[in-house]
Amino acid sequence: MALTSEHVAAAVRRAAGRLREIEAQISEADAALGDGDTGLMLRRLFDRLDAAGPMPSVDIGETFRALGLAGAGATGSSLGTLIVVALLHLSKATVGKREVAWVELSPLLDGALRAMMVRGKASLGDKTVLDPINAVARAISDKQLPAEIAAAAIAAGRSCLLEFRDRPCRVGRARMFADKSVGRDDPGQLAFVAILETICGG
Amino acid sequence: MKKLMNEPDGYVDELLEGLCAAHPSLVAHERVVRHIDAPRQGKVGVVSGGGSGHLPLFTGYVGTGLLDACAIGDVFAGPSVQACVGAIKASHGGKGVLRLYGNYGGDRMNFDMAGELLEAEDISTTTVLGTDDIASAKPAEKDKRRGVAGIIYAYKCAGAAAATGADLKETTRIAQKAVDSARTIGCALAPCQIPGAAAATFAIANDEIEMGMGIHGEPGIWRDKLKPADAIATEMMDRLFAELPAGGKRVSVLVNGLGATPLEELFIIYRKVEKMLDAAGLQIAQPLVGNYATSMEMAGLSITLVALDAEIERLLAAPANCPFWKV
Repeated sequence: MALTSEHVAAAVRRAAGRLREIEAQISEADAALGDGDTGLMLRRLFDRLDAAGPMPSVDIGETFRALGLAGAGATGSSLGTLIVVALLHLSKATVGKREVAWVELSPLLDGALRAMMVRGKASLGDKTVLDPINAVARAISDKQLPAEIAAAAIAAGRSCLLEFRDRPCRVGRARMFADKSVGRDDPGQLAFVAILETICGG
Repeated sequence: MKKLMNEPDGYVDELLEGLCAAHPSLVAHERVVRHIDAPRQGKVGVVSGGGSGHLPLFTGYVGTGLLDACAIGDVFAGPSVQACVGAIKASHGGKGVLRLYGNYGGDRMNFDMAGELLEAEDISTTTVLGTDDIASAKPAEKDKRRGVAGIIYAYKCAGAAAATGADLKETTRIAQKAVDSARTIGCALAPCQIPGAAAATFAIANDEIEMGMGIHGEPGIWRDKLKPADAIATEMMDRLFAELPAGGKRVSVLVNGLGATPLEELFIIYRKVEKMLDAAGLQIAQPLVGNYATSMEMAGLSITLVALDAEIERLLAAPANCPFWKV
């Protein structure tokens, strides 16, 4: 068994559902230092991604491409655009494949992470969504079975969120309030971990 | 905060529908607004884009002698890649397209991606970023400054150049020169709220102001008790004088309302601005007072000074027409 387009579509559906539940929580986290609209933006974006299904192809690269293009028309926010960049990178990396072995998940995530860093001009440690993605990619690098990958991913995501809570933000608008960002969750990190828990949680 | 709206998700699309219905010179397709005559064959296209919530910026400057098209994002969010691609294509008349927008992360990412996508379609593009907000970074880091109200001078000059046959390289030079000539500083009195957002963009006491605050509530230089208008104008002008390019004797000035400040109060500020420019031996050309770049219901103002030379002044005086600015 391996990762297929069906898995990707199901993950998007579950993420969209979860974001409808936590939209207010994410926006509230954003409102402390930002515009207060991150939950709204993510809910809208994932509603559009979900609506892009059912996926037109069993080619997993085509599936990621369809999602990336749907996202490219749905958002222009920095976080939203980085998600689009990740989807388009995953598309290029998997085009022509009907399935991807679970052991390939870590390098795929790592590649998407690099693409996001280049486009967003942010670094690891800046207290952004990049940090938990990196933590998850590292944590699952030696895992082969879906269940152990899911468990390691959730643990790494949660641990990263906790670790960064007491660090200052170093990029974007929140960097201007670096002191105030200490003790607060970054809304992008918070949303990523919530989505991760939903996708990997069963 | 109270808002005249239906569902938050429909806010941007409904405002664009109304804007284009009221101004038939504008045509909207999804999140792209173009002039009814765009693309104009044989003319360099000038496009901009950015988040909604700043009208007349950005969409309101689509017109003749100004922008050909504009990509629109959600409130205070950059335009999507797809919208940026659409705006560039909508303005491409075979001579290339200038991308002229404010220096913000989301806008940069999406216009950059759009330019890369369109390379395959053989559409030449150049980029000039608005960076006129002097409070957003020190002079040594000018390239990190945000673009605010001063970008409308770059729209005007680049639009005039393109309308009179300048090629892409020349239109780009003019736009960069206009950006380099403009300096803006803002002052906020009260916040705004994004439709559907959890809270206002920032909190400020009723008797406080923040000097240098950005148009999305980005932190400024200081926050203190409200002062008399003349004192506020004096500090803003002193900070602008300190950064105004040296040499010229003529300037243009824009006293801009952020959305909720009465025109009356903008003219009280302008009264002091005019006296200070006169005392400094500077002559004013084409003064503007009004709401040219707003932040929804944010209260406050910005002042923009533009150092003029013969070329910039000629381009500012060239004919132009859009829903919010006619020359």
